[in-house]
Amino acid sequence: MTMARSYSTLGSDPATPAPGPISFAQLVRAEWAKATDTRAARWLLALSALTTMGMMLVPVIVPTTFDQTYASYLAVASIGQVILLPVVAMLLLTGEWSQRSIMATFTQEPRRMRVVTAKLATAMMLGGGAAVFGGAVTAAGLGLAAASGRELEANLSIGAIAGYVLYVLLNVLGGVAFGALVQSSAAAIAAYFTVNPAVALLATASTPVADWVDTATIWNWVLHNDWDGHALQISVSVLLWVALPLAAGTYRTVRRDVG
Amino acid sequence: MITASALTKRYQDVPVVRDVSLHCEPGTITGFLGANGAGKSTTLKMMVGLVRPDGGAATIDGRPFGRLPNPTRVVGTLLDASAMHPGRSGRSTLAIAARLAGVQPRRVAHLLDVVGLTAAADKRVGTYSLGMRQRLGMAQALVGEPRALILDEPANGLDPEGIAWMRTLLRDFADRGGTVLLSSHLLHEVQATADHLAVISDGAVVAAGRLDELLASSTILVRSPDPVALAAALRAARIDFVDGPGDALTVDGSGGRVTTEVLAGVARDHGVLLTELRSSEANGLEQLFFSLTAAKAGPAREAAA
Repeated sequence: MTMARSYSTLGSDPATPAPGPISFAQLVRAEWAKATDTRAARWLLALSALTTMGMMLVPVIVPTTFDQTYASYLAVASIGQVILLPVVAMLLLTGEWSQRSIMATFTQEPRRMRVVTAKLATAMMLGGGAAVFGGAVTAAGLGLAAASGRELEANLSIGAIAGYVLYVLLNVLGGVAFGALVQSSAAAIAAYFTVNPAVALLATASTPVADWVDTATIWNWVLHNDWDGHALQISVSVLLWVALPLAAGTYRTVRRDVG
Repeated sequence: MITASALTKRYQDVPVVRDVSLHCEPGTITGFLGANGAGKSTTLKMMVGLVRPDGGAATIDGRPFGRLPNPTRVVGTLLDASAMHPGRSGRSTLAIAARLAGVQPRRVAHLLDVVGLTAAADKRVGTYSLGMRQRLGMAQALVGEPRALILDEPANGLDPEGIAWMRTLLRDFADRGGTVLLSSHLLHEVQATADHLAVISDGAVVAAGRLDELLASSTILVRSPDPVALAAALRAARIDFVDGPGDALTVDGSGGRVTTEVLAGVARDHGVLLTELRSSEANGLEQLFFSLTAAKAGPAREAAA
């Protein structure tokens, strides 16, 4: 041990100036690349797009069961989006733990909080892009319906569009929060597709559950821009399904030992 | 410049790293030698902020790793070559690292060439052998043109040609003023690559220093038909020795001060005939390594890897 001690007590160099810090834009670009440059990610994004387009065919093909309005077409697009998009968002947070590339990520940017924030921003960009894509698909669906000589009610307000975008983003955020908390792809996906249906099932039996914790009910209010009397419920749900798991997940991510 | 002082880590109250201190100077390659499970990886991970130490601290160029504005530009790390996304190509993996490091995108192609992966660059990492992943990991470590490298078992999975390549690369890096800290459980690997050594056993550093000094701390065997005259000559030259084996004498190398040449000179000056004179240098470190680690190595410690 004496050798070890003398070895470690030699003088140390003064700190040499290092290049500037990694900008947030650099971090987001890297996260964006990671979210889109693997086969698995591309498949999921393509499937998500296909689901949205497939859903859009429903009101076009079976007009009698759907309100033929711009807003209801947009709602249909959103249903297609929120099936797989939350999973894509979840994988942004869990994938690196499962594939262990998180080791490289955290040695390149040891301020883990920034990495989580960049992943969150990337998820929002994906969600925003998906919302725009859904809008385009809706326009195409409406075009098809109009071409077939159908009467369509042009009832799209700013509020309806905002509700739609918010709905997509909330679903994406829910996925991000879930992924941040669980930190394992398989476990997060399994939990996501168990917890949400379980809550939805409970909600059929219990109105308080439906009105306060069931996102199927509550985020539908957001989608339909129906905030009257629901603002508190929506806020509670955002706290419960987004803010709290995201905060807990971020805390866990920042402290976790990378093995 | 890489330093660690008194790094300590416990898992469920079981100490896996105890008071480990390291000091790596620019221009040197330090081998961090230990059996599997001795605490090498945990120590290196604490140095780069992947694992939170329970005690102690580490700095790179005088700063804790977590305070380096862009760590990749200061210290390249290769801690686990298998920890790469299998669905991403080698080129994409490196491109992401280059983007974060803030270096020119053309450095990606250059590094792929340096590590010999140009032909396989667009194949998915999942199809790579461990040796190819080590090469890609090495490119990743070098991406930010760092002044220091921290590498965990970099020779793992490399073929003999790859190992020779890695040694040359690290030697060049150190010769240009870089600081290298690399771990290995293979003694001959460290002996062939490093010029400084820290041996870890059971979570604690048991020997550290210059490799040649540690080697020289081994013994020299000297034999004469007239052991009494030889012993008198050595005493006259103030050289420590012990009797044995047999009628030979074993001389302490005294950290490189006493060499076979010195002993031959002493014998000549005193007119003593020598019939055998050999250093145990070739396997001295091996003896050191095994005496330091083997005695304490138990099957239970594998779990701490």
